[in-house]
Amino acid sequence: MAARRSRVRSRRSKAYREFVSEAEEVLERMRADLSDLADQNDAGAEVDPESVNSLFRSAHSLKGMAGMFGLDGLSELSHHLEDVLDGMRLGRVALDSPAASLIDEAVNVFVAELGSLDDPKTPVEGSEAVAELIGRIDSAVREPAAPTDALTGLDLDPALLRALTEYEEHRLRENMRRGRNIHLVEATFEILAFDEGLAELSVAVREAGEVLSTLPSPGAAGESQIRFGLLAASELDTDALRTRLDFPDATVRGVWAPAAAGSSPAPAVEASSDRAVAAPEAPPAADPREIESLKSISDTVRVDIRKLDELMNLVGELVIQRGAVNSIARRLQAEPATARIGRELEKIHKLLDRKIQGLQAGVLEVRMVPLRQVFEKLSRVARRLRRDTDKEVRLELRGADTELDKLIVEELVDPLMHVVRNSFDHALEPADERSALGKPEVGSIRIEAFQRGNHVVIEVADDGRGIDLERLQERGVERGLVDAGDTLSRREVLDLIFAPGLSTRDEVTETSGRGVGMDVVKNNLTALGGVVDVDSQEGRGTTITLTLPITLAIIQALVVGVGGQRYAVPLNSVLETMLVDTQEIQRSDGREILNLRGEPLLLRHLSQEFGLPEIEGAKPHVVVIGLGDARLGLVVERLEGQQDTVIKPVQGPVQNVRGIAGATELGDLGAVLVLDVAALIEDAGRRREAA
Amino acid sequence: MSGLGREIGVQRILIVEDSATMRSLLASTLEGLGAAIEICEAESGFEALRCLPRDAFDLIVTDINMPDINGLELVSFVKTSAAYRSIPLIIISTEGSERDQAKGLELGADAYLVKPFDPDQLNRIAGELLEKRRGEG
Repeated sequence: MAARRSRVRSRRSKAYREFVSEAEEVLERMRADLSDLADQNDAGAEVDPESVNSLFRSAHSLKGMAGMFGLDGLSELSHHLEDVLDGMRLGRVALDSPAASLIDEAVNVFVAELGSLDDPKTPVEGSEAVAELIGRIDSAVREPAAPTDALTGLDLDPALLRALTEYEEHRLRENMRRGRNIHLVEATFEILAFDEGLAELSVAVREAGEVLSTLPSPGAAGESQIRFGLLAASELDTDALRTRLDFPDATVRGVWAPAAAGSSPAPAVEASSDRAVAAPEAPPAADPREIESLKSISDTVRVDIRKLDELMNLVGELVIQRGAVNSIARRLQAEPATARIGRELEKIHKLLDRKIQGLQAGVLEVRMVPLRQVFEKLSRVARRLRRDTDKEVRLELRGADTELDKLIVEELVDPLMHVVRNSFDHALEPADERSALGKPEVGSIRIEAFQRGNHVVIEVADDGRGIDLERLQERGVERGLVDAGDTLSRREVLDLIFAPGLSTRDEVTETSGRGVGMDVVKNNLTALGGVVDVDSQEGRGTTITLTLPITLAIIQALVVGVGGQRYAVPLNSVLETMLVDTQEIQRSDGREILNLRGEPLLLRHLSQEFGLPEIEGAKPHVVVIGLGDARLGLVVERLEGQQDTVIKPVQGPVQNVRGIAGATELGDLGAVLVLDVAALIEDAGRRREAA
Repeated sequence: MSGLGREIGVQRILIVEDSATMRSLLASTLEGLGAAIEICEAESGFEALRCLPRDAFDLIVTDINMPDINGLELVSFVKTSAAYRSIPLIIISTEGSERDQAKGLELGADAYLVKPFDPDQLNRIAGELLEKRRGEG
């Protein structure tokens, strides 16, 4: 087959790389659609035909692309997938059929195969996994080709019927079968600017039913205009639809109505109750998406996140220069001879400041993405777990719109996934055990995200067996993490779950495995400047709380001074500062405690942390820092003010000093070290245990 | 109808296809027709509708399955429009949609090809249609 061979392109070519990246995008979209479908199924709603159609189109694209690169295995797999989805969208294959359940798997196999094709030795015919899956899809699909009668009784221009694809024709029949009215909504637009008006009209029609087809035709005024005919199905009759649309330039014409509809009150009642059932089919929420999808054709750009990093660095440097301008302005104002020019410079500084703040906020905003995509991945994992094990679990997700820096969101997927798997595997009891305990048979995992100041908090709460504190402490002793005779507080015992290699369940399960524990979650979070907390009620459930900064890029810092040195403390972890009298500080067991509104606050001297001389007798400042639930009072000599800073990693010997997160430049103050608040709090906690 | 600022002898092809990979494969294949070819790409039926009044085209190559308006609807529009009716049109769609392809021909498309398409066959058909159009022009 010479023609076939000529189609095969090198896997190193630019075209091939384009194919891989587009295929990845398509597969990601399929996952999102599958997830939507599963949610609709779970909710018992009538399935949105567009979800299935979109899946079909994706499989169709994959087939075409894989074929062009001679990837016969993948081409064949997507062909089979397309067949199943075609059957589904045309109503020949049930949505809950065995074939339908293979789609998830096919997407995963496709992704894996795509990855392995990087190795030029991988055969184009596809791996055994692909062949095996194709076989299974084959044996699951036994669809009879449904005979279709000619469409009759429609008062329509035959040209419009001819332009319907098989799928659109099926949707038309399906809506007629369900006894909905069929309308033709027509409107004329200027050809160079039809998008907005057409989008508005489509959205309005969709609110009242389903758009079956959009047929463009030349407008009456010739080339400069274009006319669109929207074939629509709706419970509403023509007059009601016209009133509902409220679109002065559109004409609405009935082209088909179910027999007897409107002639007696009975069908009208039926129609309205039917509408209540069918309502989820066209939720208003779907409409903005439609507008978005039209817009994305022209208004969206994709940007490499590294370019945003560069921009952010530039903004960061501007911020620092701004600080320098300010201090020169102040110096000038302090001298009578230059006071006037100093005030002018101060004014310019203020203007500059406002613009830079806008710029900074703008760049930050571009980097923010909602947690939605992470949540979608979690629902997929939960579904797979449900399928692979016999456990039932209800995953409740809240706060999907909470926004975080793109980089943080990327890094968050793994730890969050791990926490959910842990809950599923270890925390939730099997159904029989649960009902014996008087709990609902179906376990629940609730994930809630919300913003708290400059942080985003994500809580993962299950209603499982909770943590057995006694058993956890025993494990700690076995591992040599604590001594057998120690009396530990509840919190100290709970914190043991973050120690390396500790698990309270002995079995190894496939989903969470052994060796990867909460310590990894903790390390991941710490690397992002966040913390993880745990709380648990035995028999009632466990809550894991992840607290993360909204962005890593620019932070406000409190500059503090100790013995001639300056340090920057990230302001988002500073709760308050106060001037204290040394007499208010209580000392016991070598620890210093401050009574803070009735709560004991552990103090640490920054000078001691870094081995600096302390000036005796001075009234110290206490900077109360907190992360998650932990608090610590840092004793410092001076507070020198707030400043925007960009944290840069440090190199050389300081790199490995605990308690230092990085360095930053403070304009004319020069470079200072930034404190690692999480490490300081953690070390203080550890020393308290050791004491 | 005269094209805006068109060089004498240059023919313009409009590719309508939602997959970026397929679009660039189609473009690189059709560029093989020679130096007197200019390619425009539209990633949706709507975009094609916006392109049509802007330039004079000598050939349209379109996919069928696209998200906003499908290829058949585009064919129907082109073939009922006095301004564009004479532009030859090739449908390229994957195997399995024979029914839709037949409909496309019925609506006035000049040829259809099955994906994965054979580049030589595409260029042969496109070349013939462009040649014929040049003769008419």
